[in-house]
Amino acid sequence: MTARRFHRDLYRGAAVDEAIKVYARFATITPVEEDAYWVVEIEASSPARENQIADELGNYALGLTIRSRAAP
Amino acid sequence: MLACTIGDVSLEVLARREVEQARSFPICYSCSMSTIEGIPPDVARVDVDDKRAIVDIDAGLYPVEALYAAAYVFIDRCYVLLDRPEPTKLRIILTPKDLDGDVQLRDVVGQLANELVSAAWRHQITQENRARIESVTMQAISGAMGPPTLDDLEDFDFTDEAFEDPLGIAMSWEEKYVKKSEGEEE
Repeated sequence: MTARRFHRDLYRGAAVDEAIKVYARFATITPVEEDAYWVVEIEASSPARENQIADELGNYALGLTIRSRAAP
Repeated sequence: MLACTIGDVSLEVLARREVEQARSFPICYSCSMSTIEGIPPDVARVDVDDKRAIVDIDAGLYPVEALYAAAYVFIDRCYVLLDRPEPTKLRIILTPKDLDGDVQLRDVVGQLANELVSAAWRHQITQENRARIESVTMQAISGAMGPPTLDDLEDFDFTDEAFEDPLGIAMSWEEKYVKKSEGEEE
């Protein structure tokens, strides 16, 4: 299992949730909440695949966060 | 064989959790870390094994908006992860999607540093000119609202001068030059 931690100050929860929805068809993704982080646990067929999905999910969540901040 | 446990969890499970946590934790201070010439190791370093660059920046120097702007530039060619390891520190972890080598990682760090300065500067200019931008925008919007109504015109005070013209731009050519030349003749 691979986990990614997204700091709550820097990532919007809605963006992380949206990213999870998009990548849920590629792996089993479980959101976990911590005090300062949105934690996403990813389980896929191989560690390399888990890492790739985690990386792509991170980019997607970041893009949505930036876009939502830029919107009025 | 007796299984070693702590509470209800076996040591094997605990060890696996430790490994997973270490993998998920953004930074690993292992021997694979390499410094970048000319940049202090506590500011930027390259993780050779994981093929990623880690840059720490002072949150007091660079606003979060600049961090987002700089990160967004790299989102097409790198996997970008942002973090705040301390309240006064921001961290950017860049993993190039197509890595050619160690040199590319160092290039990415340099480009990111430049982009951060550029984004921070643009942000500062925007902040300083915010009032002016809002004023111009408001004028444009009020102009787009259309011509005044008859009631507006009725309330309008036409007694004052339309505008001041200290440079005499609104004067006709004759007023400005002919009268002046007559005056000079006198």
